[in-house]
Amino acid sequence: MAKQYEIPIGAQHISLLEPLHFKFTTENEKIVATEANVYYVHRGIEQACCSKFKFRQVSFVVGRVCGLCSISHTTAYSQVAEKLLKIEIPLRAKYLRMLVIELDRIHSHLLCLSHVAENSGFEALFMKTMQYREFSMELLEAVCGNRIQYDFSIVGGVARDLKPQVAQSIMERLKKFIPQLDELMDIYKNNWTLSLKNKGAGAITKEDAMRLNVVGPFARAAGLAVDVRNETEDLLPWKEVGFEMVTETTGDVYARNMVRLRELYVSIRIIENIINGLPESALVTETKAFPDGEATVRLEAPRGELFYYAKGNKTQVLERLKIKAPTFSNVAAMTEAFTGNEYGSAPAIIASYDPCLSCTAR
Amino acid sequence: MKLASYRKKSPWILHYNAGGCNGCDIEILACLSPKYDIERFGMINTGNPKQSDILLVTGPVTKRNRERLVEIYAQMPEPKVVVACGACASTGGVFRGMYNCEGGIDQYIPVDVYVCGCGTRPEQIIDGVVQALAILETKTKELEESVRLNKEAIKENKQLNRRNIADEIKPVYT
Amino acid sequence: MKKIETTLLNLKNDIAAFYKPDLHHFMVMNAVEVGDKIEVQWFFSDYAHPCETTCFFALISPHEEIPSIKDIVVSAWVAEAELVDLMNIKVENTQKGFVLEPDFESGPLRKKK
Repeated sequence: MAKQYEIPIGAQHISLLEPLHFKFTTENEKIVATEANVYYVHRGIEQACCSKFKFRQVSFVVGRVCGLCSISHTTAYSQVAEKLLKIEIPLRAKYLRMLVIELDRIHSHLLCLSHVAENSGFEALFMKTMQYREFSMELLEAVCGNRIQYDFSIVGGVARDLKPQVAQSIMERLKKFIPQLDELMDIYKNNWTLSLKNKGAGAITKEDAMRLNVVGPFARAAGLAVDVRNETEDLLPWKEVGFEMVTETTGDVYARNMVRLRELYVSIRIIENIINGLPESALVTETKAFPDGEATVRLEAPRGELFYYAKGNKTQVLERLKIKAPTFSNVAAMTEAFTGNEYGSAPAIIASYDPCLSCTAR
Repeated sequence: MKLASYRKKSPWILHYNAGGCNGCDIEILACLSPKYDIERFGMINTGNPKQSDILLVTGPVTKRNRERLVEIYAQMPEPKVVVACGACASTGGVFRGMYNCEGGIDQYIPVDVYVCGCGTRPEQIIDGVVQALAILETKTKELEESVRLNKEAIKENKQLNRRNIADEIKPVYT
Repeated sequence: MKKIETTLLNLKNDIAAFYKPDLHHFMVMNAVEVGDKIEVQWFFSDYAHPCETTCFFALISPHEEIPSIKDIVVSAWVAEAELVDLMNIKVENTQKGFVLEPDFESGPLRKKK
C-alpha cells in the first residue's frame, strides 16, 4: 500500500463559489476516500419560515434560499401553499411560471458549464460561455425586473405580466442564441484538450445512481431517466409545451456537460412554445383562506428534484416547512464519485456536480 | 516604493461567500465575464488571501463561517480593504435574526465599503470596488508614512457593533 | 401522497419490504411536532408511477431512539444527520455536529414550550 495523504479543499478556494469542504485521502495521485462538509451556509430559514414570517411573505424568504434557482423555490413554495389553501391558479400564471423557470435553467446550466470549463483549465471557454450567458440575464431582467432574486411567483399566481414587446425580444434573442449554442456544443463535444480532462472523470454507473438516489443532470448523465417535468402533470403542464427527456450513458463529466447542453435546446423549444401559445387570463387567484392540512410538492429545479413539505394550522404562520434541495440528494453520491480519480481533476468534478450548498444547508 | 504604484493599477480581489444565497457570487462572476470585464482594470480574482488587496464578502456570517472569515481577513497583508457585497453582507438582510446567522460581516471584521441591493448588480459591485481603490490608496499612504516615521499607524475603530469571535450568538431580535 | 403508519419496531422491516433501489427513490426524512409526540416521516417516490409519493410515518416520543435505515437506503445518512441536529432526536449510529456546530444547542426547529 502506498503512503496515504490527506488533502483538504475549501472552505475558501478559487474553484469554489461557496464555502464547501472536501477532505480527500489520496494514494499518490489517486483519491481513495472523501469526506464532505456541506453545511457551512446553514442559516435557519425553515425555522424562520415557521415562526417569524407570515405564509404570504414566506415565498419571498424561500427565494433567498438560493440565488441560482430562486424561481424554482418560490414556485414550489407557492404551489404547496396553494395546495394548502385549496385554490387553482389561472392558466396564464402557470405558463408564465414555466417560462421563467426555463429561462432560469438556461442561465444556470450555462453558468455550470462555464465553471466546468474554468476548473478544467480552459479559461477562454469560460469567458465565451459567460459571454453567451448574459442574454439570459438580460431577458430575466426584462421579464421579472431583477437580474437575480426574481420574486416572480407569489401565492396564488405571478407578480408581473409578460409584455408583448418583451415576448418579442425573447424570441429574437433566442434565435440569435441558437447558433451560439451550436458553437458551444461543438467545443464541449469535440475539443480534444477538454475531453482529456473531462472524459472518464468522476464517472458514476446507473446502478450506483439508483442506489444512491441521485437526481437531476447528475442522474440523467448516468442513464437514469428521472425528471420531475416528465412526472407531475397536475401543477405545471410540462409535456404540453414540448418537454423531452435527455439522457446520456457514460455518467462522467463529459456526459453531464452534454446533458446540460442538450437540455438547453429543450428549454429553448419550451420557451418558444409557451410564448406562441400563451393563454389570456387573470394573473392571480385571490383568496382569504388560511393554510390547513399538509401537502407536498415536487418540482424540477435546474439541479434536479426540489421537494417541499408544508403543514398549516389555520393561522397566518405555518406549522412546519421542509425544503429538500436537489444537491441534498446528491451529497452521498458526490463523495463516492471521486473515488479512483486523480486529485488534479477534482475541481472540474466538483464543478460538474453543480453543487448548490445554500440550497442544501438552507 | 514600486509596489504601491503597481497595486494602484492592479488590485487583486479575493472573494469569500460567508453564507449567502449565491446570488451576489454569480454577479461577482459575471463581473469577470466579457460584458463587464473587470480584468481591463487589472483586477484578477485570486484564490490566495496572501496575494490579495480587496476582500469581497457576500452573505450574512453563519456560525460555521465566522472563524474562516476572520482567518482569511487576518491572512491578508496590510493595507487591505473590505467590501461588503449585498444587503445581507451589509446588515444581515432577510436573514437577520435567524438562529445560525449574524447581522452582517461588520460585526467581525472592519468594512470599508457597503454595496447595497438584493442581489447587487455588477455595475454596483464595480462601483464599490472603484471606491475601495480610493480607500486603498489612502491606506497605503498612511502605512508608508508610518513606516517612514517609524511609528504605529492610527487604527480607528469606528464600528460600534463589533463582536468578539468567542461570543455566543444571540438573535438580534426575535 | 400515500401515508402508511408504522412503528419503530416494524420500521426497518416495512421499509426493507417496500424499497427497491431500481423502482423507488428515497427523497428525504422529515419530522413534525404533533402535541407531545414527534411524527417522523420517510418520503419515497416511484420511478414507474411518477405522480405517486409514499410517506412512512411513525409517532415517537422525544427521547426515543429511531433505528437507522442506512443499511437499506445508503444515501439516508445525510437526512438522518440533519434530523439529529435540527430536531434533537436520537438516531442509531449517528453523531451530532453535521449541520450545526457541536457546541450549539440542538433542536432549533422544536417549538419552545
